[in-house]
Amino acid sequence: MRAFSIFSLPDTLAHSQRLQRRHMLARLGLAWLAMMQVMMFAFPGYLRNRPMGAEDQSFLDSAIVLMNWVSLALTLPVVLYCAWPVWQGAAHRMRQASISMDVPVALGIVAAFIPSTYATYAGHGEVYFDSVTMFVAFLLTARYLELCARQAVGSGRMHEAIEAHRIVLSSRADRVAIWFTIIQLAVAFAAGAVWYMHAPERAVGIMVAMLVISCPCAMAMAVPTAIAAAHASLMARPSTSEHELAGLVRASERIARQSLLGAMLWHVLMMPLAAIGWVQPWLAAITMLLSSLAVAANAWRLFRRQTATSAAALPVAGQRPLSVDRP
Amino acid sequence: MEAMFLLIAISLVFVVAIGVAFWWAIFAGQFDESDSAAKSILGDEENE
Repeated sequence: MRAFSIFSLPDTLAHSQRLQRRHMLARLGLAWLAMMQVMMFAFPGYLRNRPMGAEDQSFLDSAIVLMNWVSLALTLPVVLYCAWPVWQGAAHRMRQASISMDVPVALGIVAAFIPSTYATYAGHGEVYFDSVTMFVAFLLTARYLELCARQAVGSGRMHEAIEAHRIVLSSRADRVAIWFTIIQLAVAFAAGAVWYMHAPERAVGIMVAMLVISCPCAMAMAVPTAIAAAHASLMARPSTSEHELAGLVRASERIARQSLLGAMLWHVLMMPLAAIGWVQPWLAAITMLLSSLAVAANAWRLFRRQTATSAAALPVAGQRPLSVDRP
Repeated sequence: MEAMFLLIAISLVFVVAIGVAFWWAIFAGQFDESDSAAKSILGDEENE
């Protein structure tokens, strides 16, 4: 059994795919860097509603305006450069008049970024730059994991069998995810409209949180990570029989379904909480990352279980080549 | 307030510098092979 990591580059990767991965990593890393800075600059904004003297208040307000401008300067490259694949994907989909994961993400970024920019320019009002950068950084983290999982595919007949299975599974999962997303977007806009009528100052924050939650990151990761775990288990023990392969495929399907259900449950739980205004946009972004990581962890569990059983069987399997090789 | 202006400017310079260094490292291939260094110790190529 050899160690296997989805983060090590497969030798067979084409140059363009290598380049794609580098770009993805650059976008991811820069988004995280900007996120950490913007979160720090956002801190004074959270102190605004504390009781304090008039002098302190005016000092704090001028500090907040300054911090907002700096945050805007840092968020702009995140929105333009790091989130570039999102714009590209959303524009591509819009032209085909269909919807994909990129559309709710793009809506979420626009809905948070434009009002924040206006509030910065006007010098008063809430800004959500920290939520925007967090959203982009966490989303790119999930996408990077997914890309690594997709690229870590071995070659051979059995890997192709798993790939064929992946196509069936992912088309089914995508259909579910798209309908689920459309419904959530509709709910988000409806809730935003209701809040706009009753408490306009909270409408933007609530709609941003709901759009962040409606991003089907974890759902989109369910199938690729489960399939990647199946490929990885296969690579860890090359001497897999047809029977074991069938078991592996079944297990990966079960894990994918589990992850998909778990992710849907997360959406169903979070949406009402966000609709009544209990979930801040930054909190929504954090739970989005957690749900994506939970899906990845679930797939990793499959890999662990598969390789644990093969490790127990290893002495038997390893005996034969050893006695042949011995001079 | 003046100290804060200075500190914010410094932090921005740091962010840009770290970002540029990170960018360079990625496109110089620093993160392409995460396991080759660990494997190299197992190799026997003394004359390399």
